[in-house]
Amino acid sequence: MTDTPLPGTRPNTQDSSTPEQRRIRRLRRQRAMNTFEAAVMIVIIVLVLFPIGWMVATAFKSPAVVYQYTMWFEPTLENFRNIFSERWNIGKNILNSSIVAISVVIIATPLAVGAAYAFSRLMFPLKRTMFQWILLTQFIPAVAIVLPFYVMFRTLNLLDTYFALIIVNLSGVLPYAIWTIKGFIDAIPIEAEEAARIDGAGRFRVIWDIVVPMAWPGIMTAAIFCLILTWNEFLFGYLLTRQHAVPLPVGLISFVLERGTVWELVAATGIIITIPMFFFAMIIQRHFTKGMNLGAVR
Amino acid sequence: MANISFRGVTKRWGAFVGVHELHLEVADQEFLVLLGPSGCGKTTTMRMVAGLEDPSEGEIWIGEDVVNDMSPRERDVAMVFQNYGLYPHMTVRDNIGYPLKVRGTPKAEAKAMIQAAAEKVELVPFLDRKPAALSGGQRQRVALARSLVRTPRVFLMDEPLSNLDAKLRVTMRAELKHLHHELRVTTIYVTHDQMEAMTLATRVAVMNKGIIQQLDAPEVIYNDPANLFVAGFIGSPSMNLVEGRLENGGFHAGLIAVPGVGGGNRENIVLGIRPEDVTVGAPGSGQFDMEVYTVELTGESILVTARAGKTQLTAHADRHFRCEIGERVGMSFDVARTYLFDAKSEERIRL
Repeated sequence: MTDTPLPGTRPNTQDSSTPEQRRIRRLRRQRAMNTFEAAVMIVIIVLVLFPIGWMVATAFKSPAVVYQYTMWFEPTLENFRNIFSERWNIGKNILNSSIVAISVVIIATPLAVGAAYAFSRLMFPLKRTMFQWILLTQFIPAVAIVLPFYVMFRTLNLLDTYFALIIVNLSGVLPYAIWTIKGFIDAIPIEAEEAARIDGAGRFRVIWDIVVPMAWPGIMTAAIFCLILTWNEFLFGYLLTRQHAVPLPVGLISFVLERGTVWELVAATGIIITIPMFFFAMIIQRHFTKGMNLGAVR
Repeated sequence: MANISFRGVTKRWGAFVGVHELHLEVADQEFLVLLGPSGCGKTTTMRMVAGLEDPSEGEIWIGEDVVNDMSPRERDVAMVFQNYGLYPHMTVRDNIGYPLKVRGTPKAEAKAMIQAAAEKVELVPFLDRKPAALSGGQRQRVALARSLVRTPRVFLMDEPLSNLDAKLRVTMRAELKHLHHELRVTTIYVTHDQMEAMTLATRVAVMNKGIIQQLDAPEVIYNDPANLFVAGFIGSPSMNLVEGRLENGGFHAGLIAVPGVGGGNRENIVLGIRPEDVTVGAPGSGQFDMEVYTVELTGESILVTARAGKTQLTAHADRHFRCEIGERVGMSFDVARTYLFDAKSEERIRL
């Protein structure tokens, strides 16, 4: 490069400024970008968090101030006492949801591990087709199949039972769990399994000693997602239960009265629904990052 | 410890034949190297011994047993994988001890055996680490220790050194050789590296396209290749192979002519000669002259590649020999060290 620009050529703007000037310009641009990013982030955060914040606030409001747009009120635990009272008996719904969700996780996780292993490692006829069909079930809107389920369980005399809810939720979460866990098993180098077989392990021992520990982050993630999905499930719970097996989200309906909705109780129950899921989501996040870092030894 | 016997073993995937009608006897305590380019069937052959692959036809014997229908566990073999096949979630100690754990060896006994195996490959200071915290060479040692922690009937090694850097490979090669000397376990070793094959093997089986091309001691493979494939595959730099014809026992190819090769008159001949059996000197001093195409100093010697017309030859010259690219040089063949092959059948022509 020459110091004096040739006649007729435009001087290179970059070269006309000193490195110091360029550095400042870059910093300014960066700062502008940062401000913009921050602004976008704030908008998103407000949009996402506002309803949750509103719910939390409402849960601690007394009925008198529920309809006031204020954040200045005397917080009370009255609503929580109320929902657990004999009148609303949310405790029963919590128990129902817990039984169903935990049963679903306990059944779904080992089943999904087995199926995922088979889809990942074994050769059998129609493997691809079967896997595609399993995933396809995920695209069927729940509303479209709730009626057949209703008829089926009515015929079997299983309406309003844990069993029906467990089966229905299993059919919902299993494809997802199989798909997630299969991805993790696919990433395990086959040599580790072959080495274990030569070291003397049978098929099930290989799965237990090698595959499960190495796919553990994926299995944990899938299990917790199954728990969350089942815990939050509304539609099937709404249509397949009446009194005995009503799950927690459906319990919210009982706060809709003829004189109007009792929002402060809805909000208090909402918090009860959300808190455990919040902790589980944090566990997932930890396992997910661990899964990313674990990888195989190459 | 046991011998291994392949009796008419074929492995097919659909129409693709991986291994074709293999007959091979591996003697007890032998170190047999399966050598060949990738896709030649060497790894498949070994995996069939391990039980990771089922033969389509034929029988595989280990000692007195037909192992075709045995699980890997029942075969009592140990294998070292190219990618080591370690268990990343276990410590080095648990990795080495896994075969013992699966086989229900009592804990105290297992502990002593793990210690002994770790000592043999100098891993004792690393026993409590996870594989991720080890170097490539150390991981390789873990895989090795895991395979020798219990004395199996057969060792199988699938390119165990190919993921290591060049220097480490040489060290580990020497250690493997010593270990085999010490343990005397029948070993099948798969590699595409001829140096490993030459240095380690009792016998080498050179494979190509699912067929053993030649099975012999390393020096025989090197000095007396059975066909064109073996001749071209073994040796680095590889053997010069020149297409031409024989006329009254002299070899003619384009501008070069070498008298005294023998064999009378014959068309479609490939003459092979190793670079170390070609001498380079001043122009006119040899059997024919060529023009230097490139010169490479390797340290211990100089590789001179020269051309005449379409013919190109590489010669090992003395390390003090000097020449420039484009210069003319005189070349001579050590006629006693030439090999003749039929260009069509690629088989060796023995005079």
